[in-house]
Amino acid sequence: MAQVIQYLLNGIMNGALYALIAVGIVSIFKSTKVVSFAHGHVIMFGAYFYFTFAVILPGAEFMPDWVAKWEPEWLLAYKEGAAMFSPKAAIAAWVSNLPRIVLGLVGSIVCNALLAVFIERAFMRPLLGQSSLSMILCTVGLIWVLEGSASLIWSADIDQVPPLGPNFPIRFTVFDSQVFLFSSSVVNFVIALILFIGLMLVLRYTRSGVAVRATAEDQSTAYAMGINVPAVFTTAWVVAATTGAIAGAILASRNGLSPTLGLFGLSVLAVVLMGGLDSFAGVFIASMIIGIFEAFTQWQFGGEYAEIVPYVLVLLVILWRPNGLMGQAEIERI
Amino acid sequence: MLQINNINVNYHHAVQVLKGFSISVKPGEVTALLGANGAGKTTVLKAASGLLPLENGHIEDGDIIFDGHSVRQVKPHLLARKGLVHVREGRRIFAEMSVEDNLKAATYALTGRKAGQGIDQVYTYFPRLQERSRQLAGLLSGGEQQMLAMARALIAEPKLILLDEPSLGLAPKMVDEIFAIIARINREQNVSMLLVEQNARAAFSVSHQGYIVENGKVVLEGRIDELKANEDIQTFYLGMGDADGEKSFRDVKHYKRRKRWLN
Ligand SMILES: Nc1ncnc2c1ncn2[C@@H]1O[C@H](COP(=O)(O)OP(=O)(O)O)[C@@H](O)[C@H]1O
Ligand SMILES: [Mg+2]
Repeated sequence: MAQVIQYLLNGIMNGALYALIAVGIVSIFKSTKVVSFAHGHVIMFGAYFYFTFAVILPGAEFMPDWVAKWEPEWLLAYKEGAAMFSPKAAIAAWVSNLPRIVLGLVGSIVCNALLAVFIERAFMRPLLGQSSLSMILCTVGLIWVLEGSASLIWSADIDQVPPLGPNFPIRFTVFDSQVFLFSSSVVNFVIALILFIGLMLVLRYTRSGVAVRATAEDQSTAYAMGINVPAVFTTAWVVAATTGAIAGAILASRNGLSPTLGLFGLSVLAVVLMGGLDSFAGVFIASMIIGIFEAFTQWQFGGEYAEIVPYVLVLLVILWRPNGLMGQAEIERI
Repeated sequence: MLQINNINVNYHHAVQVLKGFSISVKPGEVTALLGANGAGKTTVLKAASGLLPLENGHIEDGDIIFDGHSVRQVKPHLLARKGLVHVREGRRIFAEMSVEDNLKAATYALTGRKAGQGIDQVYTYFPRLQERSRQLAGLLSGGEQQMLAMARALIAEPKLILLDEPSLGLAPKMVDEIFAIIARINREQNVSMLLVEQNARAAFSVSHQGYIVENGKVVLEGRIDELKANEDIQTFYLGMGDADGEKSFRDVKHYKRRKRWLN
């Protein structure tokens, strides 16, 4: 029983990350009807930007020391005598990292937003009015452009990046069974959840949300009613890239930084297809299902199977419901 | 208000749909554009509202003047913000949004202008929409959806409404109701309208001027009273001859023959 709950929790933590990655793909698809195959690589850029602003920049000559390691008096006093790996030590380490974490997040969000504007203006906008297939193929081409430029720009040795939250094990009992989680996973989970719910609320209850939903339903009619549809497209790309920057920072701190991040992001496309390309709710459910399913496969059959089984599930769901769990039927398949 | 001067329009640089097409809509008037399916009426409206490029349509020659300025190169959302709104064929309401959100979406046309008359004022023309303001627009009846499409246009404080087949698929009673509202809007708000219709009787009831389109060309034009008196129009468009299928087919041929002869 303890293990069931343990793996369930692990699965949910991973599922939230999938959801955070998926949110970008859905955001772009909903307004533009383009499936971005390059989203994983935009996330990879976010991760590298985070590395740049949270590790390289604070270590630079001209940066004051406190950016890399902040140690005010009270913090030193607080961590006085804290045991290794204790929550206290972890929190103290996190606080002294806080300046560069904030710098890293702000830097990667801003840079990724600029990257998104550039991609949308340079590669998507000229194709407006053409079939969305040509735009989709363009995002496929972007994969190599982004991968190539990342390896040109960040050729230096890759270092550890700081996690977004303090990292210590949390032990607790559920139904009389001992389970444990890393606090940083919980922080990541909460961030993913807040972003996801926040986006859904904005979409549902704000005036800008109305413009996005109108564009999602009928681009040309929205355009003819005074909504600046190309601006909505840009916004969708920016939302995807900024949530992607945060996802990138989380992934880099969890699994380390490498070009394979892009491929991992690409694999989340399968989760999106399972949930329904245009449904935030469906994609959230699919993310959780896949996360949990993956965790249980890992537990029962080992890591190799965990990489295959979830995708078999995705295929089965798509055979059963071609538009995904909660997708709209009239959507043209890619 | 709107002048379309001698435009040629094609899709994909292949099919020529409008050939030397010209009409003019006078301020404060309702101008009817009548013609059979495929004559090119909707294409005229798309050309005026800037939607053609989205469907790979091109205006090759001629010009379209709205309120004294050429609109050939202007983007659709900017035209809406200048007061030229297009109520599209098939209503094109946002089905998955509430009635109120549909109207909220329409307020984007007021961007850069001082706030318009507001949703409440618009509801006075469409009390049925007010009752259903929180309902999903997709659940409205056809007539109510047409009302919603027109309400969205009114929110934009338009100078000119392009109205594409408002009677399409509606029961006769609903058609009367819709056209009564059209006449009232034209009268009270002093909005000019370009009204595309296949239901000539309904269109004539609210229009001042009319054009008959065939194969992308204007074949007949005049004040509504003149058109009503025209024998061809009586038989072909107002169905004053026999309504039986065989006969009306012959009427079409007769009409076309006369057309050629007139040219
Ligand atoms: N998006 C399009 N692409 C290609 N051809 C089109 C398109 N829209 C309309 N057409 C063609 O243009 C002609 C006129 O269409 P339309 O303007 O919709 O006529 P109407 O509104 O009078 O029924 C038709 O032959 C139609 O097939
Ligand atoms: Mg039409």
